Amino acid sequence: MACFDRASPALKETLLKLHCAKKPMEIDQRIYEFGAVEYHVQSSVSEPYLTHLSISTPLLSEEFSSSNGLSYDAIQMIKEIRADALEIVEPAKDGYQLTIRLNLSKIPPGKESIKVITEISTVQAKLLSCQLKEMLRNVNSQEQLQGMYRPIKLVYHHREPFFVIRQPRKITAVFPMRFKEDPDVIIATAFFQELMDVGSSEEWAKAPPCTWSPIPPAELRGEPLEDLSTNCGFVSFDITSHHVKGKRLDRTVWSLLNFHAFVKYHVKCTRGFIQRRMRKRLDSLVKILHSEGPDEEREHEEEPKGCGCMSSFASTSRAKNLKRRCRNLFVRKSNRIRSPVKVRGGMRFRHRWLKIQKFSSPRRYTKLD
Amino acid sequence: MAGTLRLYLTCIRNTLEAAMCLQNFPCQEVERHNKPEVELKTSSELILNPILICRNEAEKCLIETSINSLRISLKVRQADELENILTKKFLRFLSMRAEAFQVLRRKPVPGYDISFLITNYHCEDMQKSKLIDFIVQFMEDIDKEISELKMSVNTRGRLVAAEFLKQFI
Repeated sequence: MACFDRASPALKETLLKLHCAKKPMEIDQRIYEFGAVEYHVQSSVSEPYLTHLSISTPLLSEEFSSSNGLSYDAIQMIKEIRADALEIVEPAKDGYQLTIRLNLSKIPPGKESIKVITEISTVQAKLLSCQLKEMLRNVNSQEQLQGMYRPIKLVYHHREPFFVIRQPRKITAVFPMRFKEDPDVIIATAFFQELMDVGSSEEWAKAPPCTWSPIPPAELRGEPLEDLSTNCGFVSFDITSHHVKGKRLDRTVWSLLNFHAFVKYHVKCTRGFIQRRMRKRLDSLVKILHSEGPDEEREHEEEPKGCGCMSSFASTSRAKNLKRRCRNLFVRKSNRIRSPVKVRGGMRFRHRWLKIQKFSSPRRYTKLD
Repeated sequence: MAGTLRLYLTCIRNTLEAAMCLQNFPCQEVERHNKPEVELKTSSELILNPILICRNEAEKCLIETSINSLRISLKVRQADELENILTKKFLRFLSMRAEAFQVLRRKPVPGYDISFLITNYHCEDMQKSKLIDFIVQFMEDIDKEISELKMSVNTRGRLVAAEFLKQFI
């Protein structure tokens, strides 16, 4: 699923195309992605193996952005991808937070190249994750002493901010949820109830406790009204030290950053599921209406097998055809008079049992014994 | 609960058996027109008294009869908001495909969730007992389907929530 993949699919495709190209290519491409993310890929024929990649991404929080540009952790993280193939260009291009010089010749061909290029395409996600990781790791001693835990507003998706509040022994992430349509609100509310139920069970004791409330939590008092006006309440997760140890830190950060997208995807899939289910049910309801009764099914079984229509093809004489048509018309009309209540599929029944007797005797009557 | 449902459906069935005595009746106002009188309600002598059968405050059935047509309107039980939207979606889905059912009305009567319109032509083409069976079966199936849909949505939500929380462990 593209929205949960860390690697940008468009950037990955462009870099793979450059890497696999037999001849040096001239590229000056800008890629725009959801969330005001911009990539600028430049490659010229004069420097065939060098590619410049510039990344512009809105910061999660202005308060925690480093005044000198990228944080030390972010720089280290980028270098760890492939130290010989990647070089950070200082200063970054105008309008971009980061510019990287890629030496594609240093990337070995084959499966390894796909792996490295995928890693490079995840740079933007890693930059954002670094910011949240620093927040979750660092302890702000001043705030602790004052005893006031000011909520920090983070914006990963445009118009969908969330808040992180540092507290003793835990960090609370609060997500104000908004949806455009009422059915989405109800489906999401049902999901949040299930999330709370599952999270509070013994089996999931190690997962962060989750709460949902229709009103803003007390910690968010004082925040601007536009951030607190929602139609689907507030979801809170309490992140403890257990959830940020070792490799879990990366997964926790990525899950928190993509919580909005996750919920929206679930709501969309649920709507699709409901639609599919309704279509299936419609077919079965219509079948009930058009299904034949047991009597009519037996008639169909007793039908003589073979071509019943052959008799109509056999006689080609016009007079005979006319006689047959008139007889059928007469039979139909008389049957309509006799039986006003029509039974579906009962035509064959009538033909078999209610047809007018043919007078074959030369005297034009049937002698009764 | 099942007992009251049976009684409710039996009452509706008996009422429909008595009410579904329709005959062809051309329009008295416009020459060469033949309209379902229950919809127009222009001539009071052609309209019978409507019957309202209530299972409880939330579930009811309105049967309006006339000389050549019969209208059945149903209000389906909706216990909470999720059932409310599922019922609305499902019945609207069916109403939009009314031509598949022939006797279904495209728009429900105000105050009800779904409506059927049965005319004398339907009674000529289809068996009366089968029509009544279909309507009663339809009511049972709708209830069952809404309950199953609700359970499926909640089950899906639970599974998705478990998958999400797995990321943190």
